[in-house]
Amino acid sequence: MASQTHLNLSPAELAYLHASLSLTPPIRPDGRSPTQYRPLSAETGILPGTNGSARICFADGTEAIVGVKAEVEKTRARWDDETIFLEGQEGDEGAEEDKEKEQGGNREWVELTVEIPGQRDDDSGTIFLAQMLSEALLADGAFVERLKINRGWHWKLYLDILLISPPLSYPLPLLSLTTHLALLSTRLPRLKSEGDEDPFFDDDWAAAPHLYPKDRKARPPVTLLVMAVGNNIIFDPAKEELAVADVALAVSVGDSAERTGKTAEDEDMEVDGRKLRLLSIRTVDPPSRLTPPGVPNATNSAYGHAVAGPQQQKMPEARAVESEAVEGVWKAPRGGAKLAVMGALVQKVLERGGVADEVLDALEAVDLS
Amino acid sequence: MPITIHQPKPPRPLLSDLDPYNPLNVHDSDSDSSTGGGVDLSLPPKKPTSSLSHSGIVTPGEVITSDSQWMRGHGTYIPASTSDITSSLAGTITRTNKLISVRPLRARYTPEVGDLVVGRIVEVQAKRWRVDVGSTQLAALPLSAINLPGGILRKRTETDELQIRTFFAEGDLLVAEVQQLFQDGGAVLHTRSLKYGKLRNGVFVAVSGMGGGAGVVRSRRQVWTMDAANGAGQVDVILGVNGYVWISKHVETPAEVEGKPAPAGITNMEENVSATMYSSQNDRIETETMREIARLRGVITALVENGLRVDEEMVVRGYHEAVEMAMLSGEGQDDVYLGGERGEQLAAALTGK
Repeated sequence: MASQTHLNLSPAELAYLHASLSLTPPIRPDGRSPTQYRPLSAETGILPGTNGSARICFADGTEAIVGVKAEVEKTRARWDDETIFLEGQEGDEGAEEDKEKEQGGNREWVELTVEIPGQRDDDSGTIFLAQMLSEALLADGAFVERLKINRGWHWKLYLDILLISPPLSYPLPLLSLTTHLALLSTRLPRLKSEGDEDPFFDDDWAAAPHLYPKDRKARPPVTLLVMAVGNNIIFDPAKEELAVADVALAVSVGDSAERTGKTAEDEDMEVDGRKLRLLSIRTVDPPSRLTPPGVPNATNSAYGHAVAGPQQQKMPEARAVESEAVEGVWKAPRGGAKLAVMGALVQKVLERGGVADEVLDALEAVDLS
Repeated sequence: MPITIHQPKPPRPLLSDLDPYNPLNVHDSDSDSSTGGGVDLSLPPKKPTSSLSHSGIVTPGEVITSDSQWMRGHGTYIPASTSDITSSLAGTITRTNKLISVRPLRARYTPEVGDLVVGRIVEVQAKRWRVDVGSTQLAALPLSAINLPGGILRKRTETDELQIRTFFAEGDLLVAEVQQLFQDGGAVLHTRSLKYGKLRNGVFVAVSGMGGGAGVVRSRRQVWTMDAANGAGQVDVILGVNGYVWISKHVETPAEVEGKPAPAGITNMEENVSATMYSSQNDRIETETMREIARLRGVITALVENGLRVDEEMVVRGYHEAVEMAMLSGEGQDDVYLGGERGEQLAAALTGK
């Protein structure tokens, strides 16, 4: 899926950017190190009418707001759910318990919409963004399980993701970080009823527990945008960096600390960090493939002192000719991504103490008000 | 640390807060002696409900004053059947004697004849290019307003029109001068000088044009060549008045290589028009030069993000300051990052606060 429909950079700019990003270490146009994110400011709880909300701004003025609203909904019995036949009967308690565990949650319990100014909401790019974000949330079923109240009822969560500013760069990392923060700050009213009776909640908002309790390790997923130029792996690319990417990936990472087996070995590992789990990978089509190639001086009819007179100009080479790679001339990347590079990208995201780890740490440190 | 997350900062105090000519800062009017005493000259007290007006910002439709002694200036209007001076922009109030005007916080570039601008081709038409210069409209660059390669002076023919894309194609960056203005404010550009033409060997950065005190301001010199630190050679900086900036490696023209200054004049232009005028092939650029170009770009973005003006003096001073900062920091000279806190440090060092 194209990350940007129209991106206008001159071949000379693209050649320069590609050259500087291919160096070891790469020189990024804004001077960041390859793994460094743009500095951002974040706050939570900005929308009083929501269950949880967050706002994140980049220094360049890009800004996103996410609001989470929850609604109690009656769980529809599924066609393959055998328990409906047992309803009203005093069935085997143990068997039902098992069923309940298997049933988990339903992906329809989460509704996620993305709005980007200047783009239609049925624009393919916007829908792709929404799909990527919801895919990360729903991938392992752990998230929807949290929404379950009892067998008959569940929470329905509406996530409204708004980009406030025009998209100066591909907004996926920003939207994902904001969604993560909003979910961290989400609180659902405390349940007073017990068992399978109709749910009844505590009025006291102060007593409402967080959807993701602070003392537990589990965290909502986060999607990172990673790109590669040559053998360099670059995180959080700006627009002009993405324009020369050989390959760009959206990698969703979750924290699976809670769901792993509770063996002694695992607990040892949890002491010094979280257990990162890969939830989904999507390739993002970098706009670099659509860029026009530069014209080398050798074939440029407007180059050189001895310019052709009007007579000789009768054979204008108006269309851009594909040529061999010449140093200093931009040539759009051809062919697919190398498997080794893709592997290295994912490896780099998941490594212990790596970027995903640090991003989750930093988000956790944000004051949830 | 790959990521830093801050608490949101309170809004920066605007220049107008310190401005004694801001009517909102005038409590007891002492300015007008001609009307004599007895007239209450002070503006109505600020509405306590509007927290924004505290910082001197007005929004479109906000009543500035209903006192008839003030005159309305730019950015204000008086709605029919009232005498209230109302803001038509989001901006800060400025007062010149009895004239109240609103300076917009952000504005698009308004072209003026003679401005040096950096632009990007967005459209190629039969006899002209349409150029994005950050204005409300696209500027036009006629085919007749460019130099032909080799400096040949002749009428533009159909063949030139056919191969118009060999000169400039969509996406190409160029530096040009505003030659003429249309009635509606649209600009016509020309590149008929050796200083102007296609840009290569560098990076582009767009900063907001004007308003709020930040951004590129019109100054004596918009283009200069400076010596970069760390053996990076010379670097050209072009500050377009429209807020588009180009930073590139300095490439010597053939005349400079021979050691004599480039002779001016239209008669011998032929010899001196650089062969590379319409080239889109970059020269070989050393790693050090790329690093210093990135540092300069960082300086310019830091200046804008911290609300400082961008001109030759500030950029050169900021660059030297940034080199010093990098030398003192742990990572050494290779670290060119100037975002976030480092940008604030740089701005603080420049303003002497």
